Amino acid sequence: MNLSEFMSGNLQTFWEMTGFHNATWEHFVMLVVGLFFLWLAIKKNFEPMLLVPIGFGILIGNIPFSAGMEVGIYEEGTVLNILYNGVSAGWYPPLIFLGIGAMTDFTALIANPKLMLVGAAAQFGIFGAYMVALAIGFAPDQAGAIAIIGGADGPTAIFLSSKLAPNLMGAIAVSAYSYMALVPVIQPPIMRLFTTKKERLIKMKPARAVSQNEKIIFPIVGLLLTCFVVPTALPLLGMLFFGNLLRECGVTTRLAKTASNAMTDIVTILLGMTVGASTQASEFLTLETIGIFFLGFMAFVIASSSGVLFVKLFNLVLPKEKKLNPLIGNAGVSAVPMAARISNNLGLESDASNYLLMHAMGPNVAGVIGSAVAAGVLLSFLG
Amino acid sequence: MKKKILLLLVAFVATSTIAFAQGRNGLKINEVMVENNNSVVDDYGMRPAWIELYNSTHASMEISSVYLTNEKNDPTKYPVPLGDVKTNIPPLQHVLFWADNEPNKGTFHLSFNIAPGDTIYVFDADMETMIDSVVIPKELGANQSYARTEDGAGEWKIRTGSEDIENDYITPSSNNIIKDTNEKVEMFRKLDKNGVVLTIMAMAIVFGALLVLSICFYVISKVGEKVSKINKSKSHGVEPKTIANTDLPTGDSGEEIAAIVMALHEHLNAHDQESTILTINKVKRAYSPWSSKIYGLRELPRK
Repeated sequence: MNLSEFMSGNLQTFWEMTGFHNATWEHFVMLVVGLFFLWLAIKKNFEPMLLVPIGFGILIGNIPFSAGMEVGIYEEGTVLNILYNGVSAGWYPPLIFLGIGAMTDFTALIANPKLMLVGAAAQFGIFGAYMVALAIGFAPDQAGAIAIIGGADGPTAIFLSSKLAPNLMGAIAVSAYSYMALVPVIQPPIMRLFTTKKERLIKMKPARAVSQNEKIIFPIVGLLLTCFVVPTALPLLGMLFFGNLLRECGVTTRLAKTASNAMTDIVTILLGMTVGASTQASEFLTLETIGIFFLGFMAFVIASSSGVLFVKLFNLVLPKEKKLNPLIGNAGVSAVPMAARISNNLGLESDASNYLLMHAMGPNVAGVIGSAVAAGVLLSFLG
Repeated sequence: MKKKILLLLVAFVATSTIAFAQGRNGLKINEVMVENNNSVVDDYGMRPAWIELYNSTHASMEISSVYLTNEKNDPTKYPVPLGDVKTNIPPLQHVLFWADNEPNKGTFHLSFNIAPGDTIYVFDADMETMIDSVVIPKELGANQSYARTEDGAGEWKIRTGSEDIENDYITPSSNNIIKDTNEKVEMFRKLDKNGVVLTIMAMAIVFGALLVLSICFYVISKVGEKVSKINKSKSHGVEPKTIANTDLPTGDSGEEIAAIVMALHEHLNAHDQESTILTINKVKRAYSPWSSKIYGLRELPRK
């Protein structure tokens, strides 16, 4: 072998390792999807905290390379693979729930416990989507994993899909987060469709003040009651209520601050980035993914509708002075606090003095508990 | 003093819990074959009798220093050697021991033979705690195994390896019940094709759980009101019935706080970064020796 052959051989080997040599049209499609997510987040300000890591993760996950270079997210022992373990083994979502618990004020819910039922009603979105998924032809465990998108809760969707349908997790996570970002677009038309002008003007009684003791008792009783019913939801609900106790007990302020700020930020970055990177073209660009996105949309529509309709139904049995504004029904999905903000905005649209934010926060945080319970139920039945 | 006793109690409970969690009670004898003519061969190409142990827990179990024996009065007949990575059984997995009385052949070759009518014992490292035992039936024939009907649990049954009888296959180093599908999923696939049953059941559970939680908090708030009334009546020296609900301490009302914040915002034009959030945080200067200035400064030399 002479020098020129040696050099050309090495250059040939190098060329075969480059992204240009290994690229397929699917890679470019996924790169465009990643760029679209980044555009949505940066230019349109749609859930930037989620869509920036996911969008950039899609770019990372779809750089073409030849297998065996030990860089891919699915190659055991690689850096990305180690970071991805939090998703595949399902321990990022409970950490996020710890942060959510430490951030969430359950006062609105404790002051008006009947709002928990609104949070429960919105979970029909999950099971409605489950039925549609079965009708389309998904297997029951896959249908359960996809349907959880209706809970509008990214960590729960990742947690459940990692257990029931790991092969669909990337598509389910991206779908869940995409629709959560699109809540302000999806929900208002549904809310207007199912409510009359008169109903939108209902003013709710201000919530009563809640004592510190009640706030401390809530996470303890909440954990015991819900997890005795569905122990399968323990990783999510256990961490949620633990985080909330750190916040409310008054003696662990430092821990609550860390859980709700630094820790949540770190886990959000890793979770978003690795979920994005897991959407490799070969796994993602399938007919199943289109089906999942369709079902995710259906789940959101059904969840929002069922929340609003349940409030209307509930009003039939409530005394006149305790009637609920149906605009808070959409907040039963657990996109916190986006869904509650939408209730507030639509309330103000009809009556500039009708602030619904605090009332809507009740079903909104109940939705977080409800979707975790629903995930536990699905895991018990299909896991 | 009380604190110390409490701490000791907590430490005792924690250590005993850990000790209990680390116990090897989950180790089970799962299947036994005495006369092996056409079943599995060992790593020397021989067909000795075998004993299958099963880790019925959901965590890996290290079984080195556990004892196997066929004589209750001699519990330490075969100690499972230390230092072999294969003695760490993964969760819900098996390990096979060869009862060939040739312990020099390796970790998994026992120092005794077994015969129909024998009893096999597994003792823990303390040589006293019997973890599991099984009596091999006298009628166990050649190439038949004596196995549990379920892995790590259930009744014992003689298996002949017949293909005509359900679950009669002999399964060394494998599950006694081989599952090729998720039974739960299959059941839903067959009996609940459109998902209505699951939806009804699941929604009932979700509603039930949140309904119980809401009732619970309704009761807690009522109890809280009563306690407040009683406390107030005690401090004022009047009957609780004479105190109206409106007189009860209400704590900080969210609306009042919001009004104060809005007023401050208008007056000072103070704002944080997020456009829709107004915050008032109590400024706390909690003392800690780690942050104390005193410890960070050198004393000035005395003249």
